[in-house]
Amino acid sequence: MTAGEASGGCDRHSRLRLEYRQHRLEKRYRRLLALYPQDHRREHAEEMVGVLLASAAADARHRADTPATRVLQAGQHAADCSDLIAGACRIRSRMLLNRIRKSRWFSSTVRDPRWSDALAVVSVVAPLLLLVAALAEFGIPQVAAGGLTGHPSWALDNLRYSWDLPLTIGAPTVAILACLRLRRTAGIAALATGISRIVVGAASAVGGVASPAIALTILLAGTASAALLLSPGPARGMALLTRRGITLVAVGAVVLGGFSVGNNMLLGYALIRSPGYTAFHSEVAGLPADLLIAFVLAIVAVACLRTAVSRRVLVLLAIPVIPYVILWQEKLASDLVGPLGAASTLIPSSAALLYLPPLILACIIVAGTRLARHRASGRARQATIPASSAGPPGAVRA
Amino acid sequence: MQEPTFLIMTALAAGAQHGYGIMADVMRISDGRVRLRAGTLYAALDRLKADGLVTSDRDEIVDGRLRRYYRITDEGAEQLAAEVRRMRANAAAAALRLGLAGGTA
Repeated sequence: MTAGEASGGCDRHSRLRLEYRQHRLEKRYRRLLALYPQDHRREHAEEMVGVLLASAAADARHRADTPATRVLQAGQHAADCSDLIAGACRIRSRMLLNRIRKSRWFSSTVRDPRWSDALAVVSVVAPLLLLVAALAEFGIPQVAAGGLTGHPSWALDNLRYSWDLPLTIGAPTVAILACLRLRRTAGIAALATGISRIVVGAASAVGGVASPAIALTILLAGTASAALLLSPGPARGMALLTRRGITLVAVGAVVLGGFSVGNNMLLGYALIRSPGYTAFHSEVAGLPADLLIAFVLAIVAVACLRTAVSRRVLVLLAIPVIPYVILWQEKLASDLVGPLGAASTLIPSSAALLYLPPLILACIIVAGTRLARHRASGRARQATIPASSAGPPGAVRA
Repeated sequence: MQEPTFLIMTALAAGAQHGYGIMADVMRISDGRVRLRAGTLYAALDRLKADGLVTSDRDEIVDGRLRRYYRITDEGAEQLAAEVRRMRANAAAAALRLGLAGGTA
């Protein structure tokens, strides 16, 4: 073998080795490119493979083939691979975000303008009521009432229950985000609050207690979430609310707080702690709250029934209010026949009683709006068909 | 605007370039400080194309491999110019406060 033949064989050998390495690299890169979305692969895979191989070849050219440089090249290859994975994650997450942004349930609102407006009003009212419900849960209105009346038995002590923390954090967060007009974030926060309350509710339901107060906050959070995500949001709601509407919302919030005062009185928390407490005191303290609730609910109902949007607001707010009414009947029942401090003896609250009526109402609302839309589109089709298929005068239709 | 994006647009401001050319140019512009890799480059190009700041110019086949050229759009050039003005103003303000030569803002 001559020197020329030997060097030619060596060149061919090194070229074959390089080709083999490139082939292996290409296979690895193509496997990683499978992580990219199909559209991106179709558009860029071939040029990306070309760029990756050109980059690897340039690295190899600049370095002599020694064990140390091979380690360096392996490091570069690992960096390229991790960069490809990170790039795929970035593109996929961007695509996901775009899809969420463009999806109808997230970007648009309910099609019927009357329901859309009603949900917008509820997106103002429900976060406020949720905040008041949270305050009531921690006895803040009770403490305020105690401060006003000088009653000794209301105390701010519910904060010690750590399971209420999701509500402590969630309710003010939802209210603040709604005030900042961040309706989608507020909606998601309300949903998270509702879910955390479901966990609390499930824990107490396992213990055999179906709490109307927990049901109220779960349903309020759910209604607030739906209203914030499916409507144009609090900005539109505030524009729709008249002075009378704002007054009604404020009064509703006060009633909820006031009710919690009466509730605590008559369900007997106060009785247990106050040694000088008598039935007479409780009746006197509880009566104004009962009357106020009955009066305001009647006024709100009458005022809301006057326009199409207010009727819908009333129906939507009925979803969280149903357990509230059940709570009220419990309180009234214990006022009338039960011993103070005991639960209702007339209709005991149960999970089915608390959650089924609101869920049935929500289903009726969804089914009713779908049916109305279906009928409206059917009517519109019928109105266009005769006009388009009338044909020329005297034409015979089969 | 993030630095890799700024450097990619700067590389394309001089004329259309293919992927590997952009990577090499970015290395040159940043004086070897920024080394773009394919994953980062194509994720950035994908976003810039979606935003209408960069567009595909032409395709070539070299050694059996596809080579796609990209160029900056008018909107991209405007955005890059705005970024340059912003960075220049910031740099001048910083230089002025540090008492460095050239801080005339």
